[in-house]
Amino acid sequence: MSETPRMIIDDLALKPGSSPFSQKLQRGEIVGLAGLDGHGQQRFLETLAGLEKPPRGTVSIARNMEYVLLKGFRHGVANGIAYLPRDRRATGIFPSMSILDNFAISTVWRDTSGGIIRTARRGARFEQYRQRLAIKAPDPKAPITTLSGGNQQKVLLARALALSPEILLLNDPTRGVDVATRHVLYDVFRGVAREGMTLVILSSEIEEILLLCQRVLVFREHELAAELAGDEMSTEGVISAMFGKAA
Amino acid sequence: MGNLSSAAAGFLRSAGFAIVLFVLLLAVNLLLNPARYLPGNWGTLIGLAAPLIGASLASAPVILAGRGGIDISVGPAMGFVNAVVIQALFLNLGIASPALLIGAALLTGLAVGAINGLLATIVRIQPIVATLGTYLVLAGITLTIVPAPVGPAPAWLKAMSASWSVLPLAAILVIWLGIRRLPYYDLLMAVGSDDRAAYSAGVPVTKVRFVAYLITGLFSGIAGLMLTALIGSADPNIGANYTLIAIASVALGGVSLAGGRGGLAGAALGAIDIFLLQSVLTSFNVSTYVLQIAYGTILVAAVVLTALQEKLFNGVRAR
Repeated sequence: MSETPRMIIDDLALKPGSSPFSQKLQRGEIVGLAGLDGHGQQRFLETLAGLEKPPRGTVSIARNMEYVLLKGFRHGVANGIAYLPRDRRATGIFPSMSILDNFAISTVWRDTSGGIIRTARRGARFEQYRQRLAIKAPDPKAPITTLSGGNQQKVLLARALALSPEILLLNDPTRGVDVATRHVLYDVFRGVAREGMTLVILSSEIEEILLLCQRVLVFREHELAAELAGDEMSTEGVISAMFGKAA
Repeated sequence: MGNLSSAAAGFLRSAGFAIVLFVLLLAVNLLLNPARYLPGNWGTLIGLAAPLIGASLASAPVILAGRGGIDISVGPAMGFVNAVVIQALFLNLGIASPALLIGAALLTGLAVGAINGLLATIVRIQPIVATLGTYLVLAGITLTIVPAPVGPAPAWLKAMSASWSVLPLAAILVIWLGIRRLPYYDLLMAVGSDDRAAYSAGVPVTKVRFVAYLITGLFSGIAGLMLTALIGSADPNIGANYTLIAIASVALGGVSLAGGRGGLAGAALGAIDIFLLQSVLTSFNVSTYVLQIAYGTILVAAVVLTALQEKLFNGVRAR
């Protein structure tokens, strides 16, 4: 990997006093985050999104041949980061809004001509993602709450993908999603990574990480306990790192 | 078309009670006082109802923006606009040009909205406290400018509560219909519906809320003109009365005070209901105290019934 990294994490500590680490995320890479619940992987992902301010260290994003320091969440969105939150009901969907509007909310400006919203354009945009993600939504104008959990998650993913991000941060994206939908999502993740998107996936299921990722970062007590890649990536390896045993 | 019908369905769902009430009250009014509702009187009738409808429409945008968004300074802002237009500009400076006076009213409203927005969204004071502050300040300034009622108002302005009374309401309607076609409207409803989700989706939550205060301010300016047209003078004591009754109208019209649900059509209908109720009760010569009891009872009943109706609806829809 002689390529210039897309994101540089430098000397980052997740909690005051915890030992810092550095990482580089490459173009087209799928990186997994693992760890026991509450051991820092969630905070790490939120730090990459700009939602959390680290007590120490920096995150920078590649932008036009140079690197800019990530200043906060909206700054990240403006610089090619998309974040898919964990709790779909609390921080994802807008229950009182339609499927179409839920999809478009991050990218409303793309549906305008002369400053005015064109519903037809929005519909056409959604249609692309509906096909790509196999979203089962017969009527895009129906409330989002008429969809199954898996399809709601697909709409949220479509919303994030519509931003055409360079870095996609996924917080347990297949939580509470049925098996068939999972495989659709996996194919989409692999597809967008092939096109050059960088994906960081936090997952509570090790199998999922082993299946999808080229690299996994295992967190323990708010520190990076292990970085496994290629042949080292195994269920046992990840689990022993999670529990702090030498592999 | 689908958009229209789903909007209509949403309106029926949230404002259902206000619609029923409207039909009932209109029927009673027509029975009691048919002459008042002849087409020839519509201008005056609309002019009479306009300040309340305007105040209600003005209150709605910040409420739609959610997280306790509310502007209780709408009433005093109307009174302040009234004082600025009549006392400061028309009587003191002798300015009678419609363009200048209307422009001044709109700018005054916008300025009040900007101050409220600054306090509530950027300084992040709780909206009810921030706008209580502006409520008191504006009421005080208004009394300083106009210690006692004075008149008159320019003739063209008085016509705005008679033959041309529909104009200021139409202005609000046109502005709002325009806003509904902008991306801003989607952002507003998203922020009102769930601000954490909106933030996670990359919506500039603070900016969206700030603009909602500006819209409320602008509409307060127009409502201030309606009030001025109706009373045909400057009166420091009338404006503030509109605040609470406007919020009652908004709630009656099915706009959730939690934000993100309902719309300006509901807010207008709620205000019309209150106005019709007022005329029924006054035609029975009921005292204003009873009037207030009636407002309160109907408001609580409306909010409870709307909540029940939503619950039923969601129960049917849930899988």
